[in-house]
Amino acid sequence: MIRLPPGRVRCQYPQHKSSRMNQLSVEKIIEFDDTEPSAEVLSGWLVAVGSHQDRQSFSRLFEFFAPRIKTYMQRLGADSALAEDLMQETMVKIWRKASTYDPARAVPSAWIFRIARNLRIDKIRRQKFYEVEYDQESSILPDERDSDPIGTSRMDAMHVTAHMKALPADQLAVIHLAYYEGLSHSEICTRLELPLGTVKSRLRLAFGKLREAMGAQS
Amino acid sequence: MNRFHHADDSTLMAHAAGALPEGLSLVLTAHLETCQRCRERVMDAEQLGGSMLSELVPDNVSVDSLDHIWDRIDKSECLEEENPPVGNVAGLPAVLAKYFPDGLDNVHWRMVAPGIRQSIINQVSSERGTVRLFSIAPGTTIPHHSHGGTELTLVLRGSYSDEIGRFGSGDLADLDDSVSHQPVADTSEPCICLIATDERLRFTGMFSRLFQPLVGL
Repeated sequence: MIRLPPGRVRCQYPQHKSSRMNQLSVEKIIEFDDTEPSAEVLSGWLVAVGSHQDRQSFSRLFEFFAPRIKTYMQRLGADSALAEDLMQETMVKIWRKASTYDPARAVPSAWIFRIARNLRIDKIRRQKFYEVEYDQESSILPDERDSDPIGTSRMDAMHVTAHMKALPADQLAVIHLAYYEGLSHSEICTRLELPLGTVKSRLRLAFGKLREAMGAQS
Repeated sequence: MNRFHHADDSTLMAHAAGALPEGLSLVLTAHLETCQRCRERVMDAEQLGGSMLSELVPDNVSVDSLDHIWDRIDKSECLEEENPPVGNVAGLPAVLAKYFPDGLDNVHWRMVAPGIRQSIINQVSSERGTVRLFSIAPGTTIPHHSHGGTELTLVLRGSYSDEIGRFGSGDLADLDDSVSHQPVADTSEPCICLIATDERLRFTGMFSRLFQPLVGL
């Protein structure tokens, strides 16, 4: 993935069907610092939003995540206008749900990813995303909860990414198709002309390596 | 309990990525409610998702995006979160409550073969497969079959045994086209399980192929 150096202005609008709106907004592009803040910094912002509705911290989260959430939505099938709308909706949800964020249970990027993913499934795929709710999670098996402080012992997004880049190309490819294109196993089989068993074993192998790198016990 | 009583890592990843067909994710989530092992793996896979989100090339957002967001926040400040929680139904995972509001003792069953009853959840899509609740009478065998795609089976009551092992309440069997099996309800009470597929099953043998149109799998 090509990334621009930090601080570089991107004033080229991507190649969408250029609507009048796009033409008009070409000059009004915000310049962002591209450097990824550490998980601790991101976590601090999220907690500040949750505990005392800190608008400054929210703006910082917006600067880092909003342009990426917009890319995410577009890669998963939204056009530019819908992606902008879903990005805004994701940010609103982040604001509203920030008080439920528990830094001991999830790194900020994972928590935000969940919100973006659920909205994407709801609005682009028009399906329901089933998940165990956080408050429900904490009420289940309380004796087992203390065994693994998720998040605190796990690594920054950057480190996971570094390990991901070390994966063999064929394993990386199936991960990309699942996460960045939202393809189901059978759709990946069709796309890559591979049997189901091969697709599943590539995902399994990649996940095993990443979990090991993340310090998980198997 | 071995890995065959849990979801396969590739299934957990697809779920976290938001790439699992809806029906499979319904059955998986019902399992996750009581399975710490699989929940932790989903969280790891979501952490991978978070890293990949951070890694994306940022798109341009217009300057007034943030203003629009503040507007939406200020306007919605007094609104309650949507999705009020559905009341719990005894003996059912919370995620299933809305599909079986009267509990497992009051399911509207349809007989498909002697000893085998089913209730289809029509509201949930699952690629070319289905989601259905099965009730298998004690001693009854589901004819030998393999799977065109993935089949997730969650035992909700009773138990069954097949070539892989014995599955009791809360256990999940995550099978694909490499596995062919012949489950039999193995206690004195009916085995009730929720099964989602993303493809049609492949029954093997003459009797089984006659059985297929009856079950409609």
